[in-house]
Amino acid sequence: MAGDWQPDFEQLIDEHQSMVFSLALRMTGDRGLAEEIAQDVFLELDRHLGKIESPLHALLWLRRVAMSRSADALRRRRVRGIDQWVEIDETHGARGEERPSPLADRVERLLATVPEPQRAALVLRYQEDLTPEEIAAALGAPLATVKSHLQRGLKLLRAKAAIHLKEYVRGA
Amino acid sequence: MEPEPIDEFERELQAALARRPAPPHLKRNIMERRRQQGGRSRRMIWLERLAASLILAAVASGAAFWHHEVEQRRGEEARQQVFTALRIANHALEQMNAQLAERNRNAQ
Repeated sequence: MAGDWQPDFEQLIDEHQSMVFSLALRMTGDRGLAEEIAQDVFLELDRHLGKIESPLHALLWLRRVAMSRSADALRRRRVRGIDQWVEIDETHGARGEERPSPLADRVERLLATVPEPQRAALVLRYQEDLTPEEIAAALGAPLATVKSHLQRGLKLLRAKAAIHLKEYVRGA
Repeated sequence: MEPEPIDEFERELQAALARRPAPPHLKRNIMERRRQQGGRSRRMIWLERLAASLILAAVASGAAFWHHEVEQRRGEEARQQVFTALRIANHALEQMNAQLAERNRNAQ
């Protein structure tokens, strides 16, 4: 029963760290920054733990705050004039077993070239398998805007993949 | 509502964007920062209590001082009123005295 649920902070980290880290990584393209964002998001969750009512609430909260903090981090980087995805070649501290496949790596690079609002919609659609309605709720954006971002982002990504990922992508 | 069918490209995109495992030290770092922040927030609570006590003491002292000042001013006003009353009474007595002296002179 949702009313009886008691949040266990460590368990929530175990369950959702991969999601939070991956969202931040795909949005920022920087492992170090993504780790920092993931830490901040979980510490913020810890401060709000009393208001979390159910496992689903925790998941939705973490998803929404991870996207929001990633957008904040990107804004700060733009203000400081730091170029995005500068560290992707070094995979910044990633150990051998964490390295993505060559295709995933190249898709992530292509995704990084897509405008931020479209990228956010695409990451939530294809990483988190969310519907446009769920994406709209997670981003706090109108449904029509999300649908437009998804369409445009996918079209742009398709066009880029057709040029850069010919050897991998059959459907591009 | 029926979900929209996804094509081959979207399927490949989905596969490429599968969640990545978080770094193994992420949880440890979060727990460490949580411990540090817990210590810091306990210190903050004590500092806040100290600040609140100082403010309370300052307000109480101010109120006591203001009360003392008001009482002193009231006392001074009362003293002045008594002096004024005495002056008026003295003036009236002097007038009566003068009138009596005048009558005495006339009677003689």
